[in-house]
Amino acid sequence: MADVLGSFEQAVLLAILRLGDEAYGRAILKEVQRRLERDVPHGAVHATLERLEQKGLLRSRLGSGTPARAGRARRYYRVQAAGIRALNDARAAVESLWDGLSWPLRGRT
Amino acid sequence: MSPPSWADALLRLALPRADQDSISGDLLEEYRQEILRTKGHAAADLWYVVQVFGYVWRATRLGALVFSGAFLTRTVWDWLVPTADFTTRSAVTTSVAIGTLAFVGFRAAFRSESILSGIVLAGLTSQIAAVLSALGVTSMLLLWHDAATIDAINGSGGLGEAFVLPFMTLFPAVVLGAISGVCGRVLRRLVHAA
Repeated sequence: MADVLGSFEQAVLLAILRLGDEAYGRAILKEVQRRLERDVPHGAVHATLERLEQKGLLRSRLGSGTPARAGRARRYYRVQAAGIRALNDARAAVESLWDGLSWPLRGRT
Repeated sequence: MSPPSWADALLRLALPRADQDSISGDLLEEYRQEILRTKGHAAADLWYVVQVFGYVWRATRLGALVFSGAFLTRTVWDWLVPTADFTTRSAVTTSVAIGTLAFVGFRAAFRSESILSGIVLAGLTSQIAAVLSALGVTSMLLLWHDAATIDAINGSGGLGEAFVLPFMTLFPAVVLGAISGVCGRVLRRLVHAA
């Protein structure tokens, strides 16, 4: 198995898959914040996007700007085949850990 | 409405050239479409500055941690293993400091394609490291303040030097950032040309 993705990396990759053609920096940030139900700094998402692209799990392209961005280009991301494989591996690893246990767990808290 | 122009300029210096428009655009879009409307102008400006310093911290933290780590290690060494000859110790810590700041300046200029980026980030690295060093020295003083250690502190330059010296590296850091920044910028241009 290749490097297992961290939970934040998985959140970013899954956000890109959900957003499809609209997956650019700020939209990915908002989707990650909504799914994780917490505030996430812009820098954390951009650093993760850069790292995932360097690993070959993502590819990006520059799009057009908007007036709200003062014309500055959006960078759109797309998950590559290696990214899909990494997500499948991560999911399989979690399911293997939970194999034989029923969820939610019951017991003393 | 726009965020503080100095913060926008600092953000661009901390980012790779290829990401400057997209990342600053993301922040500007968030600032205008959400933060400004919900929090007001002053709070939105503060939010923007905090986000920018997040990027600056990411660009400088490795250098700042190595720099302050070297300074604090040297300080502990001087306090707990006193000596009259500081030549070797000084050579080691000075080399680490020069190497670290030169690396920060080179990397910043290479990524951003701007010599100014090397200068500013090397300077900021030295000052962030100085703050971390001051916090470290304060913590060490809380741990070790017996008479023998105080004698060692006085014999190695005193508390004033322990707190002030890291802040005095700003000017050398700026010079190193300029020199290494030129190298980074030239190498980037050669890479583009190749």
